[in-house]
Order: sequence, then structure tokens, then C-alpha cells
Amino acid sequence: MEKDIESLPYTEFIRELMNPEEIFEKPEPLKGIRVLDVGTLIFGPMVATYLAEFGAEVIHVEMPGRGDTMRPLTPFADFHKGVLAAGFEATNNSKYHVAIDMRTPEGKELIYRLVRKCDVLVENYRPGTLDRWGLGYRQLSKINPRLVYISMSGFGQWGPWTMRPSYDAVAQATSGLIEITGFPDAIPLKAGAWIGDYYGALMGAFAVMVALYWREKTGEGQYIDHPQAENLIRNMDWTWLYIYLTGKNRERTGNRDVAIVPSDIVKVKDGFVAVAAFSEDEFMGLCEAMGRMDLFEKYASVEERLKEENQKVIYEALHSWAKDKTVNEIIEKAEKFGFSAAKVMSSKDQYEDEHWRARKSIWIHEDPIFGELAEVSPVPKLSESPGRIKWAARPNGIDNEHVFIRLLGLTKEELEELYKKGVIGKWDENVPWSCPPKDWDGKSGLFYP
Amino acid sequence: MEEMSWADWARENTDPRKAHLKPEALEDVVVLDLSYGSFAGLYASSLLAEYGAKVIRIEPPEGDIARKMTPFGIKHKDTGLAYIVEGRNKYHITLDITKEKGRELLKKLVKKADVLIETYPPGYMDELGIGYRQLRKINPKLIYCAIHSFGHFGPKAKTKMRDYDVIDQAMGGIVWTTGIPEDYEGYPEHTRVPTKLGNWMGWYVGGGFAAFGIMVALFWRRKSGKGQFIDVAPPEAMAKVTNYYIQYYHYRRKVISRVANFDPAVFVYTLARAKDGMVFMAGFSDINFYALTQIIGRPDLREKYPTIKERLTPENWPVCLAEIEKWSRERTVKEIIDAFMAYTGEGTAVAGEVLKPIETFKEENFWDRGIFQEIEDPEYGKLVIQSVVAKMEKTPGRIKWVCRKVGADNDYIYKEFLGLNKSDLEELKKEGVI
Repeated sequence: MEKDIESLPYTEFIRELMNPEEIFEKPEPLKGIRVLDVGTLIFGPMVATYLAEFGAEVIHVEMPGRGDTMRPLTPFADFHKGVLAAGFEATNNSKYHVAIDMRTPEGKELIYRLVRKCDVLVENYRPGTLDRWGLGYRQLSKINPRLVYISMSGFGQWGPWTMRPSYDAVAQATSGLIEITGFPDAIPLKAGAWIGDYYGALMGAFAVMVALYWREKTGEGQYIDHPQAENLIRNMDWTWLYIYLTGKNRERTGNRDVAIVPSDIVKVKDGFVAVAAFSEDEFMGLCEAMGRMDLFEKYASVEERLKEENQKVIYEALHSWAKDKTVNEIIEKAEKFGFSAAKVMSSKDQYEDEHWRARKSIWIHEDPIFGELAEVSPVPKLSESPGRIKWAARPNGIDNEHVFIRLLGLTKEELEELYKKGVIGKWDENVPWSCPPKDWDGKSGLFYP
Repeated sequence: MEEMSWADWARENTDPRKAHLKPEALEDVVVLDLSYGSFAGLYASSLLAEYGAKVIRIEPPEGDIARKMTPFGIKHKDTGLAYIVEGRNKYHITLDITKEKGRELLKKLVKKADVLIETYPPGYMDELGIGYRQLRKINPKLIYCAIHSFGHFGPKAKTKMRDYDVIDQAMGGIVWTTGIPEDYEGYPEHTRVPTKLGNWMGWYVGGGFAAFGIMVALFWRRKSGKGQFIDVAPPEAMAKVTNYYIQYYHYRRKVISRVANFDPAVFVYTLARAKDGMVFMAGFSDINFYALTQIIGRPDLREKYPTIKERLTPENWPVCLAEIEKWSRERTVKEIIDAFMAYTGEGTAVAGEVLKPIETFKEENFWDRGIFQEIEDPEYGKLVIQSVVAKMEKTPGRIKWVCRKVGADNDYIYKEFLGLNKSDLEELKKEGVI
């Protein structure tokens, strides 16, 4: 039965289009795309996760036993059910987990067999490592010319810094992002998240989509070199042109924006609130709310407000007005007077937010192995072919049989042989974070048999 | 061929200096970018334009207010610096969509477009009769991407507020977890607060997710023939890239808060002071902590902090860091990096210099890689802007031109898409439509 949605008010109309309850009734846009994820930690595997959330079949390859180095990454060494790290959970969902020692000849053979059946390969080893192992693009594209092969690394596959080992924070440090974050009279600050990893991986997934789009038209696969530090450099807005034109460094300015005035975070009685009002009507609204129409008259144009000496006056007025208000008072005034304001939200605020819940932006699900968990839902939201989370990260090697027998056609005997030789494996009982939880019944959530 | 080293092969095949010799992946895609005052929208269309999409920026006749968002009001040839950076490869036309005639023209353009991007408060376009509800009837294959802090549905979507980076960062959780804790008394009080990232990260991340969603939708459209609506809320995008904090809150009901330059899940993974600046250093897992303690000549620290349990106890962080700094404060940044690079023993410890942007800008590596690119633009002159990130072998992105003035491509685009003549445009200009 078709509902008449045409006459609904706008946001309700959109809600009907997006309907979070019907996500599983809609098609998956990347169904039919198979991704071989041989990466570790975040920067590689998360590329595959973004694709998995939109329907790609992702096979995550780890070392037998301990598995992915990401597995123990959890705050204060505090694991869900003693085994699942929050970091590993956030970086892997809806994937098949196999464990192969890719350095062995038989392990390589397994990768070759998988590559024949895959569309995308994601890796984030030190540049040249997989090439040396015979698993580089040069070798694999011969096996499968349609393969899109993406290498994620700190500084790219060539150039003076190519061999530098890198982590998220190295990219943050060398790009200049740390230096521009924080207050001028304190210290430079690392972002409170591995944003170079999680966000860098998203841009890797974007590049893969561009390559897949091209492949749809031409049948050609290709190679992609995706550098982490350069991605942060790309995202530092006006920094470089400013340096080029003025010869001056970009200094850090705390929470105050020097290109959008006012745009700041103010301390109020019960928390912190972001406030912004750039255009004339918004700034007028803010001045009215503050009872400071004198400021509006004095700094009538955007250009006046952007002058360094005037910024200071405006920001000080904003802080002194806000300090004895509450978060909600400021937000109500923003709606009423026509400027923008929002609470500085913690993970608890986000988790409990009724707006985000109504949008199903927090994805609470019952995982057959780990029980009830929550993830941040796939972003963005698509009306006809939405993303979804199917299951959580899984114990190491748990899908070996599913993948090797069903997809590659290996026999049980061949598998036994590979297990014996240590070419493939499962979790290590001595390494808790590679294992299923203690309360697992040994059956739930198995895809094979 | 196989004789070539990997690095040589990779350079040979992905060097951005050769990009112009290769085809563009998205050259069959037409994008209408109606962003207003939002670098999330502008960045999304920049990404598509870098790979060859024909992006038409539709600005009101007075220009997008984003052209004025520039540090201290500095302009270069009448345009703000941030806008120049995101003007790449885009055609710039003007159109007043608040006028009936403007909307008619937009609808005609929509018939020939694949993607539309907008950043107005939810429902603004709908009220004008040019929202997804109306446009999907004109072009059922249209991919309509709306970007706004609150998204386009849910109880708080009925807002008139505009989308700003600071709002997106604040709601996104990154502000909560970045900054100096209240009780670090060595720093001025006003600096011990939740802190936003220095760049417009909320906008950029939101725009990145929008571009990803558009590509997914374009890919699926090739198979299904269907367009769709894409709803991007940059704060949700920020939450997606802000680690595991939601996951952890759900299973432990504990909030992760700011810890200055430490990290709740990894130690050593922190900034340390050097003689002449700051360095980042990491050595977390047992084997990598081994490497770090070897490099700084402090095997005793392994006895004190033998497992990740001890290393992830917050009280131990400043104490252990003080020990590490006994070594690092005696050395220059360069000496520290060299010492880490020279280590050949077991495990991997990593160090990175905390560069000021002006130092990053001088770093040879980034020029060699072409992420900084000097361009001679016919209108804006010689400039340096940040270029394309991903180096693709067969369909590399590229910058073809830097930016265009308000309405600079009116003649060309209205002629090519709608067959309008100079006299028609004169008429529209008189009526204030373009």
C-alpha cells in the first residue's frame, strides 16, 4: 500500500523516504563488490568498512593467532566481555574474518585465489612490502586486470618520506594540524581522535568508488596511492594560500575562528556551547539576543567584523554575555533570534540524543556472538539504497571455512593441512582479544556450516 | 618492467605531473552545487570536480557568502582565500532562486544534471518549490544531496539555523575529546576547555562523506537507473570518525573526555618536548614499547610498565612521559627523529616532528608529491594551493583552473545547457535573475 506522503510537511516527507525501520527492505548499492582487506589497525581496514556498510562483501585477512594489531586497542585496556576492544569494534563491522599467514607460499596461493574473485584490494603495509612478497599491484593486476588496488600509507608510495613509518598522529604532526589546534597561550594539541585514520580511510573509500565507477565504463582496474598526511593537508582550508600570499605562519587561535566572525565556543553555567553568526541577519539576531545592538551598528559589515581588532571586541562581548546563561537558554535564543548554536556534545549526549535516535544515527544491534552493541550508523543516509550494519567485528579466523570452502572450493582435508602448517589459523586462547567471548555457545553467528 | 623498484614504478605511474595525459573518471557527470555559506558543500563538489565532473556552482547574483569567509578579511582579487581553494575546476553561474523565473531556469538545469548539492536549512528549497519532492519528478535519476548540521529529518530538523563548522565539530564529539583537562593547572584557565580542531574539520569531513555518498549513489544508479536523496549531517560524520567513543559508552556507560596529548587507548602515543620544539612518539604494544625504550636507553621502563594494563593507567602517563622527556629534552627534534629512524632492532617505534604550517609548507616531500601545487590561473594569477590527495594510476584527479569570479560562466553555461543567447541573458540580468 502506497502511503500518500506528498502532502506531508517537509521533514516528515523526508523521514518517510529515509524510513530507518525499512532499511533492510531496500537494496544494497555495493552488492556484488567483493573486497579483500589485508590491512591492519585502522587506515586500511576502515576503507573496507565504509564499503561493507554499503553492501560490499569484505574479507578481512589477519595473521593466525593474535590477529590484527588493532584487536587490543581499547581505552584503559577495558574490553567488552573481556575480549572485544572498542577500537577494533569501531573499525570492523559486517566483514568476514579469515586468518592467513601471507608470507608463506601456501598463504600467497590463497591470496592469489581470492584476488581472482575480488574487485578491490585494500592494504596499508609499509610501501613496497607487498610488492616484495609477490602480492603487489604489479603481480596481482596480472591475475585480475579488473582489480582496484589501494595502498594506504603515511606519506605515499614514493618520494623522500615514503619509507617513514607513520601513525595517525605523525600525519597530524607533520601536516601542521596539531600546531593550529589549541590556544596560542598554551600548547599545540593532538585531535581527540585518530581522525587522520578514520577520515583518511573515508577518502580512500571515495577514491575506490571513483575507480569502480570508471571500471563500470571501461572494465579497467587500477592502482591508487593514498597518503594520510596529504589528506590532512588537503583539508586545512585557507592555510596554504594564506602562507603563500602573506608569508606568515597560520597561528592557532583556540576556539575562535578568524575567518568567520563570530564563530566560537563559549563557556556557560552548565557546559559549553558553539555559537556562530556570520551573515548580517544572523549577526543582527545575535546582537539583539545579547542586547548589544551597538555592536551591530558599529560592525555592520562582514568585512568590519573580520578585522583583527574588531574580532576581539565581538568575541569578548559574546563570552561575557554567555557566561551566566545555560546551554538551553543559548540554544533557545539562537532559534528565536536567528543565529546558530549547539551544545558541545559528549558521547553520552550523542548516544542519548532523541534527534539522533529518531534518525537511527546510533545503531544498536544484537550481535549473535557479542550480544548487544552500538555503532555509529553508516554516514551518509541514502533513501533508496541505504547503508546498514549487519554484524559486529568477529573473532580471528572464524570465517575460514565459510570463505575457503564455499568461495574458493577447498576441501576439508586441504584446510586441515593448512591449519597444521600454520598457514591459516583461528584465534589464540592465550590472546583474549582474538577470541570469542566466554559466554559464546560455539554456534551462534557462525556462517559455516 | 619488473626490474624497476616499487617506488620508481609507483612514481612513474601515479605522478600527478602526468595527470593531464590521462582520462577523467567522472567526465560524464554533471553536478549542480547550490551550497551557500558552507565549505562542506563546496568541498564535496571539489572532490567530484577534481576527477572530471562538470560542476556548476550556482550562486545568488551577489555571490555566495562563503566568498567572504577569509582570515582577517583578507581577499585576493575580491575573493576570500578559502573560497579560492575550493573553486577548483568549477563553472560559476548566478541565479536568483527566490524569483519564479530563477526557479524555472533551475528546473531546466536539473533536467540535465546528475547530482545536486545544497546546504540550506532543511525545507528551504522545498518551500521554494525546488526541493527533492519537486525535482525528483522533473528528473527521477537525480541524486539530491542535502548537507546540514541536523540533517533533513528528525525532531530537530525543523530548524532555521545554518550549518557552521563550529556547530558540526561541537555536536560531532571531537570538541569534547580535544583539549587540556580542567585540572592541568600549569596552563591558563581559559585554555583548559574543550577545543575544536584548528581547521574546518567538521565541514571537510561532512563534505567528504557527501562526496562518498554521491559516488555510491552514482555507482548504484548505473545498475538500477534510479536517483535518490542523500542526507548528510556533518556532526554524524564527525562522530563516525571520532574513534570508538559511542561503542565504549554503550558497553561501559563511560564517557571519554579530553586528555590533552595523551590517548586513552594507546600509550606511549603522545607529544613530548624536545630541545627546540615538540615531537610525537609512539611505542605501544609490548614489542613496540620495547623498541622505544631501547631507542631512549631506558630498559628499566619495561619493568615498571610491563604490559598494556600498566601503560593504559592514566596516572602513569605523566610519570612515564617525564622519564621519556629526560631523554627528549636533551635533544633536538631532528636528532630524535633520526634516532628513531636509525633503530633496526625488534619492534617499531615511531616519531614525528610537530611542524608549524609554515614549516610544512617548506617540506620538500610535499612539493615532490605535488600536494602543494603552484598554478598560474588566468584570473587569479600565480597561486599555491593544496592539490589532489589520492594518486590514481589511470584516472588521476587534477586541477584545471583555480577559481572563477561570480557569474563568470553565465554566458557559456546558459548557452550550452539551455541555449540562451546574449540578449536573453541581458533580459534576465535586468530582471535581477542572474
